[in-house]
Amino acid sequence: MTTEVEILLAEDNASDAEMTIDALKKNGLANKLLHVKDGAAALDFLFAEGEYAGRSIENKPKIILLDLKMPKVNGIEVLQKIRADERTKNIPVVILTSSKEDPDIKKCYDLKVNSYVVKPVEFDEFQKAISSLGLYWMIVNQQPR
Amino acid sequence: MTLIKKTEELNLANKELALQNQEKEKRAAELMIANKELAFQNEEKEKRAAELIIANKELVFQNTEKEKRAAELILANKELAFQNSQKEKRAQELIIANQELIFQNNEKENRAAELIIAKDELISQNQEKERRAAELITAISDLKASKEQIIEINKELESFSYSVSHDLRAPLRAINGYTKKLKENFETQLDPEAHRLMNNIVANAKKMGQLIDDLLTFSRIGRRDLVKVNIPMLSIVKEICTELENEQSGRKIAFHLDTLLPALADNMAIKQVWLNLVSNAVKYTRLKEKAIIEISSEENGDQIIYCIKDNGAGFDMRYADKLFGVFQRLHSDDEFEGNGVGLALVHSIISKHGGRVWAEAKVNEGATFFFTLNKS
Repeated sequence: MTTEVEILLAEDNASDAEMTIDALKKNGLANKLLHVKDGAAALDFLFAEGEYAGRSIENKPKIILLDLKMPKVNGIEVLQKIRADERTKNIPVVILTSSKEDPDIKKCYDLKVNSYVVKPVEFDEFQKAISSLGLYWMIVNQQPR
Repeated sequence: MTLIKKTEELNLANKELALQNQEKEKRAAELMIANKELAFQNEEKEKRAAELIIANKELVFQNTEKEKRAAELILANKELAFQNSQKEKRAQELIIANQELIFQNNEKENRAAELIIAKDELISQNQEKERRAAELITAISDLKASKEQIIEINKELESFSYSVSHDLRAPLRAINGYTKKLKENFETQLDPEAHRLMNNIVANAKKMGQLIDDLLTFSRIGRRDLVKVNIPMLSIVKEICTELENEQSGRKIAFHLDTLLPALADNMAIKQVWLNLVSNAVKYTRLKEKAIIEISSEENGDQIIYCIKDNGAGFDMRYADKLFGVFQRLHSDDEFEGNGVGLALVHSIISKHGGRVWAEAKVNEGATFFFTLNKS
């Protein structure tokens, strides 16, 4: 099995993570997905540090799904570090958040987030949202080389 | 004898004559002395007369001098008499002026007394003002403290809203999601009652999600600064009516829209107001065979009164004061679903615009809602 990760999911809420992975699985998009439970782990993975030392940074995911409210390092900080580094700045990042009340929407767009998605409460809508964004970024969207 | 006698007689006579002569000589000497005396006296008298003439001349001169002086004195006297009468007149005038001054003095004393009273009054007013100023300063510092508190509370509320929306929605999503998965994955193993119960779980989770969203809208609009622009009211309302009508399949709803006057208001907030009012009208006319919703406006001074009238369920005017309170409902959830946030939001938005909102209704005969906004 190749260690190449296509989707990096940073989500501290186990239920949300399960639901997200479920929705992606239904569309056959979850085979190369890595789920990390906080921002620190996401950064370790992206910059091949800590647990992920030795991994090639050049193996970039096609999409990063980032929850905003996470322990240790939050989504905004992760986004900031991704955009600040030449090696990672072009990776598409989608913010997944529970709330449209987030005071951070503007901040995320200032940091050139690719998409900002409020997770619907309703299961069917949630699945629809995750499926369509997974399909879009994994299949429709053309990555920079 | 005769001769001797004669001689004796002659002697005698001679002697007599000698005596007489002597007498006469004595007399002559005396007369000479007397004459001399007289001459002296005469001289004296002439001297005296000359002196008298001089004195007389002097007196005449003095007399004329005195007459001249008398004439002068008469003139002077006349002058003095004139001056005297002038002085008397002046004295009269002075007396009058004096009386006037006395009167003015009295007036001034009166005024002074009044001024003293006024001054006392001013002092007490001043003290009152100082006291009031001190109170105001205290009140201002209290207000400042309150304002800081409010800002603090507002911040707390904001992070509370954020928390509520973020942290309450996540478990709801899980409840909803897991129940759906349970239904999908174990469909054949569960009997119809289990399916019904799970449907209820899903429906309630969904309802709670809606409640959270509405509450957040309510608190967000309360905190948001209004951006007032000229709002073309008719096109906004038309759009909302069309949208809501499309959602209601199989219902007959007649919208009667007047030419709605434009107003100066926050576009997003006013859209929310119309959305809530029109969807209420649509909701509460549900049991009528034909729903009629009339929307109109009229000018009232520098304000516009908007009016939306329906022929729906109406409400009991006794509870009209509860109509716009958060979570207050005049119908049960079984009759008409809702969470009691919509009209509270309308009230909050209109109040923030400086307008007024009120309603008139009769049970089963429909309700009319009014609100005012400033003219554009």
